[in-house]
Amino acid sequence: MDFDFTPDQQALREAIVRIVDDNRDLPRSGGVVEPRACHPATAMEQAFMQGGYLDLALEPGCGAVEAAILVYEAALSPLVMELGGAALVAPLLTRKALPRPVALARVEDLPRGVRFLAGARTVLVDCGDEVAVLDMTGREVAALEDPFAYPLGRLTAAPDLTSAQRLPGKGGELRRLWRIALALEAAAAMEAAVRFTTDYVKQRQVFGRPVGSFQAVQHRLSADAVKCRGVYWLAMKAAWSGSPLDAALAALHAQRAVPEVTYDTHQFNGALGMTLEHALHCWTFRLRWLMGEMGGERTHAADAATLAWPDAA
Amino acid sequence: MEFAWNEAEEAYRAELREVIATLPGDWWDAYAPHGPSSPRLMEHARTFNARLAARDLIVRHWPREYGGQDASAWQQIIISEEMWSIGEPRSSLYLGANWAGPAIMKFGTAAQKQKWLRAIAGGELLWCQGFSEPEAGTDLSNMKTRAEPVEGGYLVNGSKIWTSYAARADVMFLLARVGGKGKGGVSCFLVPMDTHGIEVRPIPGVHSRWDFHEVFFTDAFLPADALLGEEAGGWTIVQTIIHYERIGAGRYEKARRGLDHVVGRLKERGVWDDPVVRADCAAALALVEAARLQTYLVIDGRAKDSDPGAETYLARFAMIQADHAVANLSSAYLPDLLVDGADGHLRSQFNSAITAGIAAGAAEVQLNMISGRHLGLPRGA
Ligand SMILES: Cc1cc2nc3c(=O)[nH]c(=O)nc-3n(C[C@H](O)[C@H](O)[C@H](O)COP(=O)(O)OP(=O)(O)OC[C@H]3O[C@@H](n4cnc5c(N)ncnc54)[C@H](O)[C@@H]3O)c2cc1C
Repeated sequence: MDFDFTPDQQALREAIVRIVDDNRDLPRSGGVVEPRACHPATAMEQAFMQGGYLDLALEPGCGAVEAAILVYEAALSPLVMELGGAALVAPLLTRKALPRPVALARVEDLPRGVRFLAGARTVLVDCGDEVAVLDMTGREVAALEDPFAYPLGRLTAAPDLTSAQRLPGKGGELRRLWRIALALEAAAAMEAAVRFTTDYVKQRQVFGRPVGSFQAVQHRLSADAVKCRGVYWLAMKAAWSGSPLDAALAALHAQRAVPEVTYDTHQFNGALGMTLEHALHCWTFRLRWLMGEMGGERTHAADAATLAWPDAA
Repeated sequence: MEFAWNEAEEAYRAELREVIATLPGDWWDAYAPHGPSSPRLMEHARTFNARLAARDLIVRHWPREYGGQDASAWQQIIISEEMWSIGEPRSSLYLGANWAGPAIMKFGTAAQKQKWLRAIAGGELLWCQGFSEPEAGTDLSNMKTRAEPVEGGYLVNGSKIWTSYAARADVMFLLARVGGKGKGGVSCFLVPMDTHGIEVRPIPGVHSRWDFHEVFFTDAFLPADALLGEEAGGWTIVQTIIHYERIGAGRYEKARRGLDHVVGRLKERGVWDDPVVRADCAAALALVEAARLQTYLVIDGRAKDSDPGAETYLARFAMIQADHAVANLSSAYLPDLLVDGADGHLRSQFNSAITAGIAAGAAEVQLNMISGRHLGLPRGA
């Protein structure tokens, strides 16, 4: 066992953190933050592309853990960029780089709403046993607006998968990788929301003392911190192990943690947390979407139960 | 990053399992359910610990000079997992191996090391921990038990409470006050339980009839060499111990095996197909495995000799939640099997889980520590 990154992984992480931190300012006009639910991370995206980070998982000596580092660290930003599909799921599933952004969707969600579908060039569609690799050229997508902090979209026509490339028998693998990406993104968004809130309650005074000096506030944020770290470690282990059970547990734990973390962090930011100029929603309104992705916790729970305690043959 | 056991660790676990295989056939029914301080288990522990000692299995993680094999902290967590998960057949030997021994290594004199460490490694001693008092639980430094310096040693007066194992232990790791009030006056002593002036009274509990005790000291004389470390320097020792105590027992492993057992029972009852039941079990499993990884993070730090940080408290809180989640499944779906005698394995997990948020520091105290040390929040009013 060794919970530290290797020196190479550590160096990679530091480089990623620099890029994320250098490019995390919310766009402003006239001195105030632009009132938008979702802020795309354009500069961060460019930096990652220039540095060749998106194909990390395909480089010799690299794999799921390196991709996981990228997905997690980037998702700490209030700005949003598609990485789970392009940098983790697609390369590890297909062993090649697909045209990005790469959206991930269950087939039934295509006409309802899918994360990153607006602007996606590829969609990996979970069709049960098989995966459809959908080229989005020429397909009409309606972008969905507020409240979620992701660029969401839905297909305007009934999904036609006839022209899509098929990956038979890869459905389970897609779900495994998607769960890892989902758990990492949720872990990061929860961690960022807790850190942001912690900073806020340290300086906001009520009754002559910081909000964060009240034990009712401290205990809930502390319990939330335990959840964030729990999800993070489950997701990293799942990235490392390749086990479908580990991935299902990570996604399950992540989605179950979201309600309390989003509730607590919003509570402690008061009315300011309800505004679009305060960054909190950039994470919490990602989380509120992530909570239901892949069908929500019941799907991970059902798979985890079957994998952990298989019925006797 | 690496989440697998190495060969030496696997081999150690296999050896431990060979000794575990010698436990009586009615282990889960007659020994484990009433806890590691129950009379039958404690009595059996003496034979069991001798078997472990005969194969040098008890303190592999200690330095060779003290009877160990210089193995890493991972081996300590392996023995904790294997033992705690089946109801701790070593009984309170683990106190000595996990934290009393290391405290003696760090703060003891050469003579104290000679006297105590080999005996721990040899599995000869069952310990108890005399910290809490009626007015000093969470607020431990409020303790009143006094050790008056007298010719050749100390006279101890006062009382301890909630002391697990006390009625059958050989030795107590005692905190008593030599100096003034507060943390500054606390001192540590190593006290044979047959010392004249010590009286032990049991307090039956909901989790075990035999766990809690009150221990009274009436002019109990301790020789000068019973003092561990400096006079009035005990608080530093306590601080060191606490990290080892909080993350010492493999509670997540007991919860995991308990959960597997719950699922087996649910299958037998034909309710395993219910998606709600399956989802509840899966959610508990996620909590257990998250607690395991958070604990391993602490052990990783220990194995690398880094100073313990806030991870200890995060891990402990995660462990409390995992333990309760599994115990609650028993209550929710199999309450009739918790009845005495119905299913010793379930009862054993249930009994130890319900103490998890209080023993070794209240859950709320862990949260206080996380607030201060992990989040950096200002002290509460
Ligand atoms: C099964 C078991 C075995 C034990 N074995 C031993 C043993 O062998 N030796 C020994 O010395 N002790 C032992 N203890 C005692 C244990 O260490 C104490 O119970 C524990 O430290 C809490 O002290 P208390 O029970 O006096 O609770 P109190 O200090 O009275 O606290 C009661 C409750 O108040 C809350 N609380 C307290 N302080 C705070 C705070 N600052 N912020 C927020 N909430 C707070 C917590 O919820 C806490 O549980 C054992 C306890 C149990 C349950």
